[in-house]
Amino acid sequence: MKASINDSHFLFRRLHSLLGLLPVGGFLIFHLWENSQSRFGQAHYNEQVVGWLQQLNYLTLLEIFLIALPLLFHGVYGLVILYSGKSNLSAYPWQGNIRYTLQRLSGIAILLFLLLHVGWTRIWAIWEPAVKADLFAHMQGLLIQPSVFLLYLTGLLISVFHLTNGLWSMAISWGLTTSPQAQSIWLGVCGLLAVLLSAMGVHGMLGFLP
Amino acid sequence: MAEKIQFRIRRQDTPYSPAYWQTFQVPFREGLNVVSALMVIRQNPVTADGSKVDPVAWEFNCMEEVCGACTMLINHRPMQACSTLVSSLEQPITLEPLSKFPVIRDLMVDRSRLFADLKRVRAWIEIDGAWDIHQGAPRISPETWQINYLYSRCMSCGSCLEACPQYGQQLAFVGPAALAAVRLMNNHPTGKYQRKQRLHAIMGEGGLSDCGNAQNCVQVCPKEIPLTTAIGELGRQTTKQLLKDLLGSG
Amino acid sequence: MSRPRKVIVVGGGLGGLWAALRVAEAGFQVEIFSLFEVKRSHSVCAQGGINACFDSKGERDSIWQHIVDTLKGGAYLANQPPVKSMCEDAPGLIQTFERMGVTFSRTAEGLLDLRLFGGVKHRRTLFAGASTGQQLLYGVDQEVRRQESLGRLQKFEWWEFLSLGLNQQGVCQGIIAMNLRTMEIKAFPSDAVILASGGMGQVYGHRSTNSTNSTGAAACRVYQQGAWFANTEFFQFHPTAMLGEDKTRLMSEAARGEGGRIWVPRDTEDQRRPSQIPQRDRFYFLEEWYPSYGNTVPRDLASRAIWEVVHKLGLGVGGEAKVYLDLTHLNPGFIEQRLHAILDIYRKFHGTDPVHEPMEIYPSAHYAMGGLWVDFERDDSTGGIKHGSPRNHATNIPGLYACGECDYGYHGANRLGANSLLSASYSGRVAGESVSNYLKGLQQGHGGSEDPIFRSEITHQRELNQQLINNQGDENPYRLHQELGELMSSQVGVVRDNQTLSGAIESLRTLQQRSRKINLQEHNSWSNQGLAYARQLQEMIRLGEVIAVSALQRDECRGAHYKPEFELKLPENAAPGEPAYETYRSRWKAQNQSWLKTTIARQTTEGPQIDYQPVDLSVLAPEEPRDYR
Repeated sequence: MKASINDSHFLFRRLHSLLGLLPVGGFLIFHLWENSQSRFGQAHYNEQVVGWLQQLNYLTLLEIFLIALPLLFHGVYGLVILYSGKSNLSAYPWQGNIRYTLQRLSGIAILLFLLLHVGWTRIWAIWEPAVKADLFAHMQGLLIQPSVFLLYLTGLLISVFHLTNGLWSMAISWGLTTSPQAQSIWLGVCGLLAVLLSAMGVHGMLGFLP
Repeated sequence: MAEKIQFRIRRQDTPYSPAYWQTFQVPFREGLNVVSALMVIRQNPVTADGSKVDPVAWEFNCMEEVCGACTMLINHRPMQACSTLVSSLEQPITLEPLSKFPVIRDLMVDRSRLFADLKRVRAWIEIDGAWDIHQGAPRISPETWQINYLYSRCMSCGSCLEACPQYGQQLAFVGPAALAAVRLMNNHPTGKYQRKQRLHAIMGEGGLSDCGNAQNCVQVCPKEIPLTTAIGELGRQTTKQLLKDLLGSG
Repeated sequence: MSRPRKVIVVGGGLGGLWAALRVAEAGFQVEIFSLFEVKRSHSVCAQGGINACFDSKGERDSIWQHIVDTLKGGAYLANQPPVKSMCEDAPGLIQTFERMGVTFSRTAEGLLDLRLFGGVKHRRTLFAGASTGQQLLYGVDQEVRRQESLGRLQKFEWWEFLSLGLNQQGVCQGIIAMNLRTMEIKAFPSDAVILASGGMGQVYGHRSTNSTNSTGAAACRVYQQGAWFANTEFFQFHPTAMLGEDKTRLMSEAARGEGGRIWVPRDTEDQRRPSQIPQRDRFYFLEEWYPSYGNTVPRDLASRAIWEVVHKLGLGVGGEAKVYLDLTHLNPGFIEQRLHAILDIYRKFHGTDPVHEPMEIYPSAHYAMGGLWVDFERDDSTGGIKHGSPRNHATNIPGLYACGECDYGYHGANRLGANSLLSASYSGRVAGESVSNYLKGLQQGHGGSEDPIFRSEITHQRELNQQLINNQGDENPYRLHQELGELMSSQVGVVRDNQTLSGAIESLRTLQQRSRKINLQEHNSWSNQGLAYARQLQEMIRLGEVIAVSALQRDECRGAHYKPEFELKLPENAAPGEPAYETYRSRWKAQNQSWLKTTIARQTTEGPQIDYQPVDLSVLAPEEPRDYR
């Protein structure tokens, strides 16, 4: 009897969990680090960061298999998971339950944010070569508008929350942390990571501003 | 403490009829618990506005918080009515049936799913038969005993299920109680011989991976059972089992 | 007949589940009927432990000593072969529980730990913290669930047993039961019925440690169909129960086994907090009166001693009916680990912490030593019972068996602590094996649910329901139950006398009359709890009468049955061999000549009719009087 293989349910759940960290979470961290180089200025960013990326071997394949497909699976299956529960925050307003609810809400919000974000960058670039040629200026044009900046800030924070809280939850699901003490220490580590990643992300956003 | 305690009780005559609310008043006395108050009401079922009504139906048995029968929502939280002292509650006191199970009548619900789920996760040890085998029992260290004993006190009251956002009448999740039972059985010296079967049972739909780690369960458990620790430990066991299933057990 | 053989078990506590398990393992179909989910049965309330001789504490304990302690503790009233077999099989039974996964407490070496209990001098009690009954029940419950998943067993939870289906030869061929949700009354045919309906503590109302469903109604119903009750006058009062308006909650004997001490202030006017009262101002009466057993004397003696201190010496704490059970001198970590469950109950219901303040306790109705009469077959070669004999645990109605607290089997006139989980489990197992062999020898099976034997019975039961539903009387069933409890506790309690008992019987008959005028105040015909309750109440009143009549007729003191008028007092300061003691011994033997016999109660139209049966004394002749000083 190999129920866990014959029954895709468990595999899918674990795959969803794993992909959230690798490559999706990993990509987020890389993406934030990469864009924090905005502080080195327009030329450096366009040539060293964007330019370096664009010359990578098998770039399209990497983008499809390491970013797009894992993200798509994580997002779509996440919506499926959404239907396996029903938040009861009003009756039990406890921090674990708040994070449980936020994890689900942020998941939906991130999907919406990503549609905008990818639309404003990659999709836009299909019609407008200037976006690709001078991404720094394009981002500057976007982020200089306070509403867009706020939107990006929100997108950043909920993405970082979703990743780090997911990391906390994942440690239990995979059996890394079992005791309440271990789970609580790990929560602290994840919290610290969230602060660092948020700082790096905000730093990157500020780098685009004139 | 007020001399009369107000109880708002959610009532329902049959599983198929609509719910409605009634208010009752019960004289306060020291040490009064919710079951005793319900007993006063059933003796003289008259509402606060003086109308004679049918007695409130509820489930109770041991009266010392060990059988699990009288679990209900008291001020919106799952608790055992027998061990909940009226003096510890905000008034008016609201009583409702558990919301995650079908209502039978008034505060009585049908918790049979809870027991069906224990069957589903194979929460037992496969003994050859309930006869003497003329052999000593396996040794268990006091430390292991102490941890196992925590789990063995689960009285199937349903509080953890009530508070779990992943558990519900339309939802597949077995919930923390059954998972903790798997944890207990899997850690027994001979119970672990069926560990794989139990793990496979909780690796399907509605199993362990449906837990969302909201961790409400461990906060409402009246017996302070480390349910979330059990879930973590089962996470580890299923991870290993998954690898064995995928790669071979060697 | 081609129908597969089927057994109905009424009750899902330790006894019932054990019986069901063994019948299912023998390959017969089993149906368990229970008033609620079996996992919530009263067995979960047993706290302290279960006795079995493991002799792992260097005390040279022996199975023989377990037998002697049980027989003497029960004042020699128990039939001895079943007690002998029970004590012999106890260690194996524990190991079976262990295999089921029961979390028995362990020593540092990982072995089964033992604690001291009342009425014995050796540590012989296995335990799982202070929730042993719960753990044992869950162990068997798991195995029964496994049988259920294999399709060998079916549970009918939320069904109440109403009566037996008896054929023209008087053989039991099924039951009539009522669905507690739909209130439907239905026949369930079977080839044998095992009654495991538990105790009857609710006869004493809220002054009992029993669960609210321990009414004894099922046993009383078969009694009215011709089954005999035996020794019902022997009702155990547990010395240490919490006081309570709704229930007197058990504080396990394990509290004393682990070192707890019972005392009262020497001066009732003493206003100091108990912890401020110095040793010299405390009266440790059990230790003074029974220096060799101290706080762990058998329960009948402890309860009586408390009664004396309170009512005769007037030394109850603060002038009230309560004494202290003190754990404060013990290591808090140690008692927390060993007694957590009861400490928790006390904290939750009383609000003070027994680790820091002594508990306030008083005796409370706890356990019926008596119950349905059951047979046994002696094996002359071993002196125990003949294993597998279909006579074991058979009642006088063919095809009806009884086990667990509802039978009268193992405890004589007083039960030793931690022998009840043993007798419940053991008797269930024996009954299950016995019934399996009864089925093998059965020529003809039951006649199915359409059997005419059920028809009139179903009609009768429906009429009983209708009478109660249509009643326009003015009696409130809940108040009647309170009255019953007060009556029984005050007049058929720890201390008895014939005049009061006669009065009690009259009062019980009046109560019986009044219970016919019950007004249910209930119009909903769905899950009508009042109806079921009222019917149980009528049975409880009948049971009260059986107890009171049995008590009235027994003019002696034996175990839990205490009539001071007939007391033979142990001579003070005299040891065996001295003339005073030997005079006492001969008087005691003379008393045994007339009273060492089993009370049998039969239902007649005039009430219970009492007869007596000899006790099987083939294992240990009653030569040594009980002396726990």
